[in-house]
Amino acid sequence: MDPPTASSVEKTQAGTQSLPRAYLVRSERERLLEAMLRVAAAKGYEATTVQDVVEVAGVSEQAFEQMFGDKESCFLEAYEAVFDVLLAHMSSAFEAAAGRPWPERISAALGALVGLLSIEAGIARLSMVEVTAAGDDARARYRSALARFTPFLEEGRQYANQGEELPADTARFAIGGAASMIFDEIRAGRGPELTRILPDLVFAVLMPYLGPEAAEDEMRRVAREHAA
Amino acid sequence: MGKQAATKVRAGAEGTGAVGKVFPEAPALRLVSSPKRQRILEGMLEAVGNAGYDAASVRTVLDNTGLYRQAFYDEFADKEACYLEALKYGVAKFKAIASAAAAPEGGWRAELRAGLGAVLDALDADPAIGRALIVEVHAAGPEALEIRSKAMKEITAFIDSARHASTGTETPPPIAAEGIVAGIHAVIHAKLAAGDPDGFRQLLPDFMYFAVLPYFGAEVADAEMKAARA
Repeated sequence: MDPPTASSVEKTQAGTQSLPRAYLVRSERERLLEAMLRVAAAKGYEATTVQDVVEVAGVSEQAFEQMFGDKESCFLEAYEAVFDVLLAHMSSAFEAAAGRPWPERISAALGALVGLLSIEAGIARLSMVEVTAAGDDARARYRSALARFTPFLEEGRQYANQGEELPADTARFAIGGAASMIFDEIRAGRGPELTRILPDLVFAVLMPYLGPEAAEDEMRRVAREHAA
Repeated sequence: MGKQAATKVRAGAEGTGAVGKVFPEAPALRLVSSPKRQRILEGMLEAVGNAGYDAASVRTVLDNTGLYRQAFYDEFADKEACYLEALKYGVAKFKAIASAAAAPEGGWRAELRAGLGAVLDALDADPAIGRALIVEVHAAGPEALEIRSKAMKEITAFIDSARHASTGTETPPPIAAEGIVAGIHAVIHAKLAAGDPDGFRQLLPDFMYFAVLPYFGAEVADAEMKAARA
């Protein structure tokens, strides 16, 4: 009954991850969550009605009401699930690169993130752009969702120059900066080509930890890898 | 100019209602064509900052300003038109606050330290204005976000000028400036949105570290952070 956790999603996806797979129809609840995302991505959250959602899901309105009560609760749960999937996707890319230097593992995780967001451009727009206009509750969820990316970065503290202590806000600065760059791209209608800004994201996320030179080296490596 | 100065100005702003506390430290610049229009814009920022864009109404603005309904509609077609103007006005005010504090002859780092410090002080003095400009802009739609984007591009251009400053020791790629502005914006945004409005000033050392690092390297960035803590 609960939304999938990052680890449970990871297990069920077995390597071939994409958002549609994560929403493989297994129950009415999951069908409703997926339908909510699809409809809201296509016509906007405001314009979405419960009736739209139950029609797409092929579930009765009564069942919807029993499970979620109202449109907002359904949306918020679906929204959490999007971040579960994004995090699971990044985690597995990060883990798959185990043994490689930390900057390369971060690039792999960021690559997985923008790859998935660009494939699911409609849902990306919904979860990263439109949600910020959807009221305090949704915005609070967006903020706590971003905080879930912190663990990927913690290891970077060891790489800080001269062993100096990094500012306490470093992860928030790096993640917030990257999220804001992604936000701008999606808002400008370039969501489907989001992978093009991967080298820039790599630089922005690594720079506060590694300093400009090492961050630029990794940025160039990623750019070469993607050109190849 | 800290909280004390702000309180003094606030206390001296009797008779203008709550509007007097908006930007207490702003230099007296002529940014708006008429005092009445300016009162409405400040009343709008106050209303949006306190109630949120969706809940704020023309009625709230009238209550904040003590003006009649007609006075509002003489100046603006509706709430949205007024907010968009208020947003531009607020951005211009923040810009004025930053440039008044920063003497360009001190060099890029000194200018940034003073300008950013003054902006953080202004947020401490009146966080509602920060919410109206930085958080609620999302609720107001694409046109408002366009105004914000333009303002962020201007700040980015200033940050990027460090690449050409003769004192800079590193030459990071141009994206560095965008990352700095986006990161600083994100930290301020999160703090405002979480309703944790105290102590913006104490963010200055970290912000200086992040901004100085790509252009001057870790040693200078660390020294800059420690100096700003003192």
